Amino acid sequence: MTALVEINDLRVGRQGSATPELDRFSLTLSAGETVLLLGETGCGKDAVLRLLAGSLEQDQEISGTIRFGENDPVQAATRPTNPLRVAYVPSAALHPLSPTAPVAQQLTRVIGHKLRCPQGAAREELRTALERLAGAPPIGMLDRFPGQLDNATLCWALLAAATAVTPEIVLCDHSFADISPLVARTLIGALLAEQQRLGFAVLYGGRIPQAVARLGARTIVLQRGCMIEEGEAARMMSGQTHSYTRSLFHALPQPDAGRLNRTSTRSEALLQVQGLMLQAEKKARNAISFELRRGASLALVGEDGSGRRGMARAIMGLDRRPGRILFDAVDLNLLSEAMTSRLRRRIAFVTSDDAALDPRMTLWDVIDEPLRVHLKLSRELTTGYREAALKRVGLASHDGRRLTVAALSAFDRRRLQIARAVVAAPLLVVVDEPLRGLDAVARATIRDLLAEFRLEQQAAFLVVTADFAVARALADDAMIFHEGRMIERGPVRELLRAPRESATRALIEAADFGPLSRAAEAV
Amino acid sequence: MSAIFAPSLPRPRRILAIAGWAGLGVVALAVTMSDFLAHAPANELHAGPMLAPPSAQFPFGTDLVGRDLLSETLHALSVTATAGLEAAVVAILAGGFLGYMSAHLPKPAGLVLHWAFAVFAAIPALLLAIVLIGLTSRGISALAAGLAAAPLAFVRAFDRASRAGGARHADYARATGVSASMLLRRDLAYEFRDMFLPIVARAFASVTIILSTLSFLGFGATPPHRDLGLMIGAAWPNYLEAWWTAGFPALTLVILILLARLAAGLDEGERP
Amino acid sequence: MRVFALRESGRLAFGLLGALLLAAAVSALSLPGAHEGVQGFLAAMASRLLAYATFDLGSSAVSGLGAAQELIARGPTTLTFVLQGIVIAAVFGIPPGLLSGAASLRNALAPLGQFVSAVPVFCAALLLAYVANRLLGPALPGTPVALLPRDLAGWSQIVPPALTVGLAGMSAVQVGLRRASVTLEDAPFRQGLGRLGLPEREIERFFVTPVVFAGLLNSLGEVIVALLSATVVAEWVFHCPGIADLFVKSVALRDWNMVALILFLFAATAMIADFAGRIAAHAVAREAA
Repeated sequence: MTALVEINDLRVGRQGSATPELDRFSLTLSAGETVLLLGETGCGKDAVLRLLAGSLEQDQEISGTIRFGENDPVQAATRPTNPLRVAYVPSAALHPLSPTAPVAQQLTRVIGHKLRCPQGAAREELRTALERLAGAPPIGMLDRFPGQLDNATLCWALLAAATAVTPEIVLCDHSFADISPLVARTLIGALLAEQQRLGFAVLYGGRIPQAVARLGARTIVLQRGCMIEEGEAARMMSGQTHSYTRSLFHALPQPDAGRLNRTSTRSEALLQVQGLMLQAEKKARNAISFELRRGASLALVGEDGSGRRGMARAIMGLDRRPGRILFDAVDLNLLSEAMTSRLRRRIAFVTSDDAALDPRMTLWDVIDEPLRVHLKLSRELTTGYREAALKRVGLASHDGRRLTVAALSAFDRRRLQIARAVVAAPLLVVVDEPLRGLDAVARATIRDLLAEFRLEQQAAFLVVTADFAVARALADDAMIFHEGRMIERGPVRELLRAPRESATRALIEAADFGPLSRAAEAV
Repeated sequence: MSAIFAPSLPRPRRILAIAGWAGLGVVALAVTMSDFLAHAPANELHAGPMLAPPSAQFPFGTDLVGRDLLSETLHALSVTATAGLEAAVVAILAGGFLGYMSAHLPKPAGLVLHWAFAVFAAIPALLLAIVLIGLTSRGISALAAGLAAAPLAFVRAFDRASRAGGARHADYARATGVSASMLLRRDLAYEFRDMFLPIVARAFASVTIILSTLSFLGFGATPPHRDLGLMIGAAWPNYLEAWWTAGFPALTLVILILLARLAAGLDEGERP
Repeated sequence: MRVFALRESGRLAFGLLGALLLAAAVSALSLPGAHEGVQGFLAAMASRLLAYATFDLGSSAVSGLGAAQELIARGPTTLTFVLQGIVIAAVFGIPPGLLSGAASLRNALAPLGQFVSAVPVFCAALLLAYVANRLLGPALPGTPVALLPRDLAGWSQIVPPALTVGLAGMSAVQVGLRRASVTLEDAPFRQGLGRLGLPEREIERFFVTPVVFAGLLNSLGEVIVALLSATVVAEWVFHCPGIADLFVKSVALRDWNMVALILFLFAATAMIADFAGRIAAHAVAREAA
C-alpha cells in the first residue's frame, strides 16, 4: 500500500508549557488503511488530527518530520500545507455547525470551497453522496437548522459532506461517539463501504474501546501524549499488554462482573404506569402499562426517537401524556404543586444532559440543596453527608465552595449528579444515558458508581438508554421500544438469550458485547 | 478579592471593575470630605473675580458670579453622587428586583406586568422622568429618575428570569421536587452573588445621566443644591467665551459615569 | 416565518394599545373630573379614549394651534434630527460594530465606545457646539433649513445637532452589535466550520456577520429610543422647535393632553421600529425553535 502520510518523532507543545501535548509520535498511514487513535481526552490524538487538517494553533510548538506521499520529508515546525485532499468529520455533539443557517447550506459551502465549484454543483455532490450512503436521510431533511435535527442525522450529513469531496484521508474526530451504538455501527459500516469504493485512508480519534471492535482497525493507544501500545484490533480485543490499555478495556461490559442481586418481587409497587400513550394517535393497543417495584430496576431501551425518552419525561412530569402515572400509589397529576413537589423529592436523576444542573451552583450547593431544603438537616450533619458523598464519587479534592458547575467537565458533572442522588436518599433514580459522551475510564467509573449505589441504597432504578450494555449493567428487567411502541419486555438475561423481535436483536448486536454475548448464550 | 467583584465577568473585565470601584471609592471620599476639601462653602458668591480662567489660585477658574469652580464642582459632585445613588436604588428595586419576581408569578399576572412595563420602556426614560416631575415636583428628581429607568430594567430582568426558569436545569429541578419558591430563591441568590455590584454600578451610571440631563433642562436639582447638570446648564449662556465654566463640571460628570461603567466591567447590558 | 410575524404583530398591537391607554391616562389629567377619585379618573380616561376615536386631539397650550396641526408643523424638525442620527449611527456605528465579531477587535474598541456612551448627550451637544463655533464660526440661529449649507455658518448650524443625535444613536448601535457579538464569542461552530475546511473569512462573512447584524436589527427599538431621547436635548440646546422641544414646554405648562399625544407618538415609533427590526432580524438570521 502507498504511504500517504509518514509522521516521525512528532512533538506538539504549547509555548510556556513544560508538558507537551504529544511526544515522540510516529505514524504511517497508507491509502485504504484505517488507524484508530485510542485514548482519553488530553492524550494527544487531537493534535495529530489538527496537524493533518492544517488547523494547529499559532502558539503551538511543533517538531519532528512529516512526509506526504512521494514528497521528501519536511520539518513539521514549518507547518507544511497538506497537499492531500483531507476531509474532517467532527462529532455532532460538539455543535460544529452554525445554529442560524440550514445544515445543507453550510455543508454545501464547505464542499464548494474544497472542490472549487459553484454552490449548485456542490449541493448536487452532497445529494449524490447522501444517496450513496445506505441509511442516510434525503437532502431535503438537511434544509433544516442544526437544532431541528438529531445527532444521528447530523452525523450522516457530516459523513456525506466528507465523502462528497472524494478525499484521500478522512479524519474522524470522535465522529460517532455520542449517538446510539446501533446508529454508530450503521454509520461506521457506511464509512467503511465508502472507503472500499474510494480508497481513502481513515484516521479515527476515539475514546472508547468499542471503537476498536466496530472499526476492526490498527489501534494506537495514547496516554498523556505518549504512544503506549499498538496492535491490530483482534489482538487488542483478546488481550492487552499495557496496564493502561487494560484499564481502558475494563470499560467494556464484562460478562462476569458482579451479578446484580435480583430484588424480591414481593415488595410494593413504587411506580405504576397505566395506559400511557406515546404516539399522537390514541390506539388502545399502543398504550403502555407497567409497574416498577421498590428496589427493582427497569431499563427502557430503544433508539433515539423510539419513545423511551418520551416515556421517561412523562414519568418525570416534564411532558403531559394521556394515561395515568402513580408514584407511591399517588396520581401526581391530581395533586397540588406543593404536594407534588414533596413527593418528587424522592426522585433523583443522573443524565448525560450537560444542562441538567444549574451552572451557577457550586459543588457544595448542589449537594447541600436536598439535605437542607428537602431533609431539613442541620449544618453539621449536612457538612458530614456532603463530604462523604463527594469523597465517594471522587470529587473531594475539588474546591467545592468556589467551583461552579459551569467549570466542571462532563465526567465531573456526572459524578456530581450521582453524589446529589446519593445524599437525597431517593426511592426512584432515573438514569438517562449515564455513560454517553465520556471517555473509557470515566464510563467504567460511572457505571461502577451507579451499580454500587443501586446495591447499597436499594433505590428503584429506571434506566433510559439506547445501549443494551448499559441496561445489562444497571437493570434486571427491560422494555424495548421501537417507533413509539413498546415491542418486547422481560428480564434482561432472557432478552439477551432469546430476543423475539428483530429490533431487539439489532440493539443487542450493536452493543458490541463480544465475550458478553458468548456468556449470555451460556446463561 | 476579585471574586467579589462580579465573579461572572471574565478576568480582564474583573480587573477593570476593581479599578472602577476603587475610583468610585475615591469619589465617595471626596463627596464625604467635600466641605473640607473645597476652598469655599457651597454657593459662596464673589469668592474671586467673575469668569476668571483657571489659575493657581482658582484651578478650575471662577464663574459668572465669582464662585470658585473647584469648590462648586466638589459640592455639585456630592449632590449628583448622592442623588444618583438614591435613584439607582429605586431603579433596582422597582425595575430589576420587581422584574425578576414578576417572572415567577403565575403566567397571566406576569405577562400583564411585562406588557405594562414594556409600554413604559418604549418611551425614552428622560421623557418619563420629565413627566413624573411635571406631575409632582422637582424635589423628587432622584425618585423620578429611578422610576423612569425602572421599566427597561424590569423588562430585562423579567426576560432574564424567564430564560432561567425555562432552562433545562429548572425542568430537572422541578421534576425532582425543587419548588417554585426554592427556584426563585436560588435564582435571586445567584443573581445577587454574580451580578449585584455590576448591576448597581450600571444603574448608577444610567440614572446619573438622566438626573444630570434633567437638571440641565431645568427639571432636576434646584438652587442652592446645585448638581453638576445644573452647573453646566447655568454656565451654558457664557461657556463659549468661558469654556471652563461648563468644561470642568462636564469632565467631572463624565469621569463619574465612566468610573461607574468601569465598575460594571464595561458592561452595558450586552451580556445576557 | 409566518407564525413569527403573526406573534410579533400581536405583540405590536398590544403594545400600541398599551401606549394608547397610557396616553389617555396622561391626557385625562387635563380634565377636572380626573382628580375626583378613581371613578372620576377612569371616566375622564374613557372620555379621552372616545375623543381619540373621533380624532379629537385638542389644542396645544404652547401655540394655541390644534394639536395635530402643531405636531405636523414641528414634525419635520424632529424627523430630520432622527433621520440624520440614523444615517450617522449607521455609517459610523455599523462597520466597527460588525468588525466586533472578532473578540480581539471588540475588546480593543470597547473602551472607545464606552467613553463615547459615558458622555451625556447635553455635554456632547455643548462640546460639539463649542468646537463648531471655534472651527466654523458662529452658527445661524433657528432651525437648520438646508441639508447642504452653502456657508460655514450654515454648516456650524447643521453639524452639531446632527452629530449630537448621531453619537447617541451610534452608542446604541454599538451596544446592539456588541450584544450579538458576545453570544458568538466562544461559539463552537467557528472552530467546527474551520476544521471542516471553510476559511475564516467565509465563516465571518456568511455565518457570523449576519447574526451580528441581526442582533442590531433586534435592538432597533432601543436605537430609536436613544435617538428620540437625544433629540429632546438637541432641540433644546440648539433652539430648534421640534416635537421634543414642544414636549418639554408642554410639561412646563402642564398641557397634559399635548404631553400624552407626544408620549404616544414616541412610544408608537419605538414599538413599530422594534417590530420591524425583529421581523428583519428573523429573516436575516433565523434560529431554529
